[in-house]
Amino acid sequence: MDEYDEMYGIEDDFEQQFADELEVMAEMELEPPHPARVSGFRSKMPAPQTFEDAITSGDLASKTAGAAALSKTLGPSCDEEESLTPKAKKRKHDVAKKLHFDALQDDITPPSSPEVYGNSEGTRPGFTLSLSPDGPPVAMTASVLDISGLATLQESPKRVPTAVCRARKRPPATGDYITVTDSMGNRVYLSKKEDDDNKAPDPRFFRNSQNALGLLAVPIEVLKEQVADRRHRQLVEDSQRLTELLNRGVDPELLLDEVTEEEDGETADEGVCSRLWVDRFAPQHYIELLSDDFTNRCLLKWLKLWDMVVFGRERKPRPPAPEARPTAANAQNQNQAQRFKTKSQITEEILEAELDQYKRPKFKVALLSGPPGLGKTTLAHIIARHAGYNVVEINASDDRSAELFQKRIDTATQMQSVLGANEKPNCLVIDEIDGAPSAAIGVLLATLSRKDSREGEESAALLPICIFDRLPLLLVMPQRQGMKTDTGSLVALCEKTDNDIRACINTLQFLHGRGQKQLDQRVVSSVCVGLKDQNKGLFSLWQEIFQLPRLKRKRIGGDVFGALEEAGLKDGAQRLQHILHLASSNGEHEKLIQGLFDNFLAMKLKDPGLAGVCAGLDWLCFSDHVNECVLHGQNYSLMRYLPFLPAAFHFLFAANSVPRISYPNSHYEALTKTQHTKNAVVAMLAEIPPTIRSRVCQNNLCLEVLSLLLELICPKLRPVNPQLYSTREKQQLCELIDNMISYNLTYRQDRTPEGQYTYVLEPNVEDVVRFPGLPPRRQLTYQVKQLIARETELERMRRVERAQQNRNQRVETHSTGHSEVKRPEVKKPPARNHHHRLENIVKQAVVENKPELDFFGRAVIPKEKPAVNSATGEDAKLSGTLQIGKAVGKSDVWFRFNEGVSNAVRRSVYIRELL
Amino acid sequence: MSLWVDKYRPTSLAKLDYHKDQANQLRNLVQCGDFPHLLVYGPSGAGKKTRIMCVLRELYGAGVEKLRIEHQSVTAPSKKKIEINTIASNYHLEVNPGDAGNSDRVVIQELIKTVAQSQQIQSSTQREFKVVLLTEVDRLTKDAQHALRRTMEKYMATCRLVLCCNSTSKVIAPIRSRCLAVRVPLPSVEEVCSVLTGVCRKEGLLLPPELAKQIAEKSGRNLRRALLMCEACRVQQYPFSADQDIPETDWEVYLRETANAIVSQQSPQRLMEVRTRLYELLTHCIPPEIIIKGLVTELLGNCDGHLKAEVAQMAAYYEHRLQLGSKAIYHLEAFVAKFMAIYKKFMEDGLDNFMF
Repeated sequence: MDEYDEMYGIEDDFEQQFADELEVMAEMELEPPHPARVSGFRSKMPAPQTFEDAITSGDLASKTAGAAALSKTLGPSCDEEESLTPKAKKRKHDVAKKLHFDALQDDITPPSSPEVYGNSEGTRPGFTLSLSPDGPPVAMTASVLDISGLATLQESPKRVPTAVCRARKRPPATGDYITVTDSMGNRVYLSKKEDDDNKAPDPRFFRNSQNALGLLAVPIEVLKEQVADRRHRQLVEDSQRLTELLNRGVDPELLLDEVTEEEDGETADEGVCSRLWVDRFAPQHYIELLSDDFTNRCLLKWLKLWDMVVFGRERKPRPPAPEARPTAANAQNQNQAQRFKTKSQITEEILEAELDQYKRPKFKVALLSGPPGLGKTTLAHIIARHAGYNVVEINASDDRSAELFQKRIDTATQMQSVLGANEKPNCLVIDEIDGAPSAAIGVLLATLSRKDSREGEESAALLPICIFDRLPLLLVMPQRQGMKTDTGSLVALCEKTDNDIRACINTLQFLHGRGQKQLDQRVVSSVCVGLKDQNKGLFSLWQEIFQLPRLKRKRIGGDVFGALEEAGLKDGAQRLQHILHLASSNGEHEKLIQGLFDNFLAMKLKDPGLAGVCAGLDWLCFSDHVNECVLHGQNYSLMRYLPFLPAAFHFLFAANSVPRISYPNSHYEALTKTQHTKNAVVAMLAEIPPTIRSRVCQNNLCLEVLSLLLELICPKLRPVNPQLYSTREKQQLCELIDNMISYNLTYRQDRTPEGQYTYVLEPNVEDVVRFPGLPPRRQLTYQVKQLIARETELERMRRVERAQQNRNQRVETHSTGHSEVKRPEVKKPPARNHHHRLENIVKQAVVENKPELDFFGRAVIPKEKPAVNSATGEDAKLSGTLQIGKAVGKSDVWFRFNEGVSNAVRRSVYIRELL
Repeated sequence: MSLWVDKYRPTSLAKLDYHKDQANQLRNLVQCGDFPHLLVYGPSGAGKKTRIMCVLRELYGAGVEKLRIEHQSVTAPSKKKIEINTIASNYHLEVNPGDAGNSDRVVIQELIKTVAQSQQIQSSTQREFKVVLLTEVDRLTKDAQHALRRTMEKYMATCRLVLCCNSTSKVIAPIRSRCLAVRVPLPSVEEVCSVLTGVCRKEGLLLPPELAKQIAEKSGRNLRRALLMCEACRVQQYPFSADQDIPETDWEVYLRETANAIVSQQSPQRLMEVRTRLYELLTHCIPPEIIIKGLVTELLGNCDGHLKAEVAQMAAYYEHRLQLGSKAIYHLEAFVAKFMAIYKKFMEDGLDNFMF
């Protein structure tokens, strides 16, 4: 490569040498340089030629190259691709280059080689001026060739091409020139040339001219890159020109409108396609707001009320500034308001009247609410900006957990003090607040209650906008974009989108984008995009179902289509479609049906024969069946039949009066109650002993057993101390407690909200069997219940103890095999107090000699001694006294070590000693 | 164990009080050594479970009466844990798969298979099979019942199934054909009376025959209920009198009042009131089939002979729909509304005929 680089710098006399080539080159500034390739080398060198031609003409087919090797025909095809998609295949490109180089090395004749050039340079001093793009290092020395600019050019040909001026010995015949004289007195003429972007890639011409004999002088990749570069540039230029053209076409119209300068500039900068009309035509100023004037004024007024606190404190030196602006803006409104005492006027007065001690408005937060697309966000932003605030918005796209919310609020309210005096105060707009978690709302409330901050909160706005309010805008907009329309179709569009201005504009843009230049009624009704997903609330849906559509009042426009539509809504098919559409667009089908079921009987029905009610209920049965099929068999195709139920209800029960609809909670209530009942029964069943448990299941417990069981556990018991009971009564009590335990029932003390103590059954199965409105069953008195509860508890403990004893006993029995000896000892009552004499204790303390047992539990019979295991109490006593000694046993004072007990020392004291 | 129902329950086939022929046949069945799968069905309170336990005792001896409750947990393929309580002895396992709700299929597949796959340890001295007792088979889903089919055949060598249900109509035909169906009918009034008298004698009480008859009739020959009623009577007033009032279950009273409300007025408002009452019944775990049955019985008593057939047909229709669907309240209310419509029309027609 270097050799070629060097060649660039050398421009002395080959103008004379290759004068004809230069001519051709001059032509080639406009077209691809293929004519330069005519040379005598062609016969010898088929390969480079093939490359060259393929590139220049961009046509593979035209190349004959029949004799060329296969690899060489393969090369061009790659190259061609390369030129079209410049970054595609580097490796193949390299291969092609190599081929080319081989050819050069082998066959190129000396005149075109750089060495020859080096020589000729020595004899003939020449001047090269190369300008690198950034700074022009002008090489004026004859001996040293500055090739830096050219090198750059070669390595990155996409850069802005270097301007290369050629030095001439004579002044050029045409065009301007500059005379340059060097230190040695040689004078050259530098021709001035317009170095346009387009003409930049000159170098290759030099190449060509050097390779006048027919060899490819410029490396093929350079050529290709240049071609690609040029194409790219042309494309960019074209598009730019087009854009400019378009913008120019649009601009005047935009300027006609009230769109401001910066908005205009913005539009010009960005492409038309990139912006939604909704954004482009969004109001920028207060006066452009479409929404209800009253709402706007109220909000603005409220925000202005803060001025005294916000700006009055912070911008003391210039208090009139914030005051002046609103008055100017609202001058017209003010005048109007003075003349007519309007509703807004009154509201404003009210707002103004209610200031707290810091001169702040009483209401710290404004809440805008309303259906989507009416411009709530726009209103909040514009008014805040209008009143001189810096808008800080939090919306649903931000994470709104409580901590983050807190952080955002704090930032918004406290940043102000940090910022400079010129900064506007913050107005916090919390958009889409209805989706925020309740914790975040709590944070907001907490902040509000302690802060004297200014926050405009915005969620959604109640804006009863008349339909004609936005017609002018809608009329203007299509004209701006070259669409023809009429008022009627725009009204229809508004109606279709439910007065949602955003949807209107989006639909318009969509239609425009599809190339529709004419908007008329038919288009509006046929297109289905304007129809947004009408997700009505359940209540409004129920209302529509139960209410006949009212005759709408005649519209001012008096258009035929509207009248037709009215008529259409009255007839059945239209209504059916309407309800079907509403029902199927609603997702909560279950709840919808539940609401219908809960409310339809409360409607005012003229249905003496109850036929309608029967039909409605049959529909409900049907839909239940369908639902079951869908859920059970995953047969989802049946789901399309579900919306017919609301339609049927509409035709059965719709009336002209406004229905009063309550939220359906009967099903849910029933569900919770059932769960409660079931829980009680399950809790009861859990502890019932298995013999009984196997006989009672939930079902018959509820149906038969429980009710009678509750009778059974309410015997007539005298309210006296149980010690005074007769034997029969005692037995009755005993049975009762037995029953209660075996059915896992007990009484638990509970406190009523009035503070009285009662005993209730635990688990409370009384709820399971008792029905409201029936005569109350006999209840036990509080005392009896208390008694039963205590006895039950005792009996339980006794049973547990007995079970434990049984188990222990069984263990011992198993281990010793001498149950008949042990049993009386277990049963023996503890010693009375007067037996606590040492003699007795000593007697008791005697270690019983257990019979020795072998591994298998059989008694081992000692050989030398008689067996000790037959030792009776008498023997034990004897042995005990023997062991301890008589003196100890007879002593008056004795003690016994009792671990963990402090009264270990006892002494017998007689009465006579005390007398 | 002190309720009379529990205390005086017969434990062996020989001691059963009624249907003695059937008891003999069962004993023969056990003794001949080729014990099949059993499907025992019949109305509630007829003594199905008692009979099954007697059969088990006949099979294995007194060891089956040593019961224990086991808490089993089964993991569904969806990694859901299903907890279920089983009652087991050394020889048998009692499961109520209906407790598992919708995942009863998994319980059937896992639990029963593990039991069925394990062989008895000492087959020389005992029966070579275990018994799995499934209660409330009619509450099983169809899936679970299908899962049962293969198990019944495959593990026949080591396991016998005894299915217990109220009605075979909800048991799929393949299962019915694999079992020996044993119907346990309700005892007759006389049989109930004799049982009641016998129990009272054992308690040392004197039960007047009139009262016994009344109790038997009022309980609908449901022996469990009859015994409980008798005991409740005893608690209320001991020296029995023949005309003492017998305690009833609340839901029956409530249902009767509901039926009366339906008959007395037919209007959407009344239908609304009836709906709250139906909800009340449903929330007290009264099965909708029983509600509709009770309503029909009460309503039929109140309406003219011409209407009876139509009302009964309607009730059958709505009961069927009820089984197909899942929200009982719609179907119950639809039945009530339909009855109201029919009844009202009939009454108005009658009035017209009377006037002209």
